[in-house]
Amino acid sequence: MKEMSRIVKTVTNFVYGFIIIFGFYIIAHGHLTPGGGFQGGAVVGSAFALLLVSYGSLNSQKFLKKDILSLFEGFGLILFIVLGFSGLGITFFYNFLANSGGWFGNAAVIGVNPGNMNTGGVIPLMNIAVGLEVLSAFGVIVLTMASAAEFTKKKEKS
Amino acid sequence: MKKIIFGIAFLIFFSFLIVSAINMRTFGEPAYSEMDDYFIENAQSETGANNVVTSVVFDYRGFDTLGEATVLFTAVVGVIALFRGVKK
Amino acid sequence: MSSFVEIIHISTLIMIIIASFLAVVFKKLLPSVIALTVASLLLSLEFYILHAPDVAIAEAGIGAGLTMAIFIFAIRGTR
Repeated sequence: MKEMSRIVKTVTNFVYGFIIIFGFYIIAHGHLTPGGGFQGGAVVGSAFALLLVSYGSLNSQKFLKKDILSLFEGFGLILFIVLGFSGLGITFFYNFLANSGGWFGNAAVIGVNPGNMNTGGVIPLMNIAVGLEVLSAFGVIVLTMASAAEFTKKKEKS
Repeated sequence: MKKIIFGIAFLIFFSFLIVSAINMRTFGEPAYSEMDDYFIENAQSETGANNVVTSVVFDYRGFDTLGEATVLFTAVVGVIALFRGVKK
Repeated sequence: MSSFVEIIHISTLIMIIIASFLAVVFKKLLPSVIALTVASLLLSLEFYILHAPDVAIAEAGIGAGLTMAIFIFAIRGTR
């Protein structure tokens, strides 16, 4: 797929970083504001799709490496499963970090409050794991389909 | 003949849908709300997270999220296996 | 129930039905995909009006962003 015009590329250069930062904000604040790992990963994946559409698949392979993304995907899924098995002393997926005082262990204020970042127990870590998995999964899907479209078009032309 | 039978079956199915849409409960008033009340009352003190939806998704129903992540992983494996002959 | 919210509900649903009908009716592939994307974006607006911002973010990211990109890649690859 060829790269698009100069206007699209300039707008992409402006917007790309903001979309990715917004996606990571949704992932990191998943236990305080609406959203979570899946939603933030979808936002970052749509930023990857924007980069691929505007710059073409050959140019964007310099920024997005498929192998690194699939490595991140397996790492996210394994981290999620390990966090699920860590509470196995009581039940599967037990929140063993909540209200313990350590990492993310402060007790939340009951009622309507602006929120504390250091609460939630395993929920922020699970958000990060699922967000890593989802963003790299969407990145790998979009990247593979873009290079496959390029490949089939070149094959039909020759 | 076949078209008439299919049309009658479609009309019966559609009328069932219309009847169930008319008899639908009003939005935001479920029949049984004990589980919802338990989550709204205790989610903040038990999990320590302000967002009750996230605490349901990742803590009370964590097994469901594990299945969803596995489905996504399987989708990625399927896409890579489908286009495995493609060289960039 | 305030009538303003109901007016927004009804107009959003009517626009979703119109966009889905256009996605079926269009003969060319690219306008059909864009009509499908518009329907998905309006569906995300409807989720937001129904007080479900989580589902609205997921729908706007996947339905309106990634699905259109994948469809456009498929169309560019096949023609």
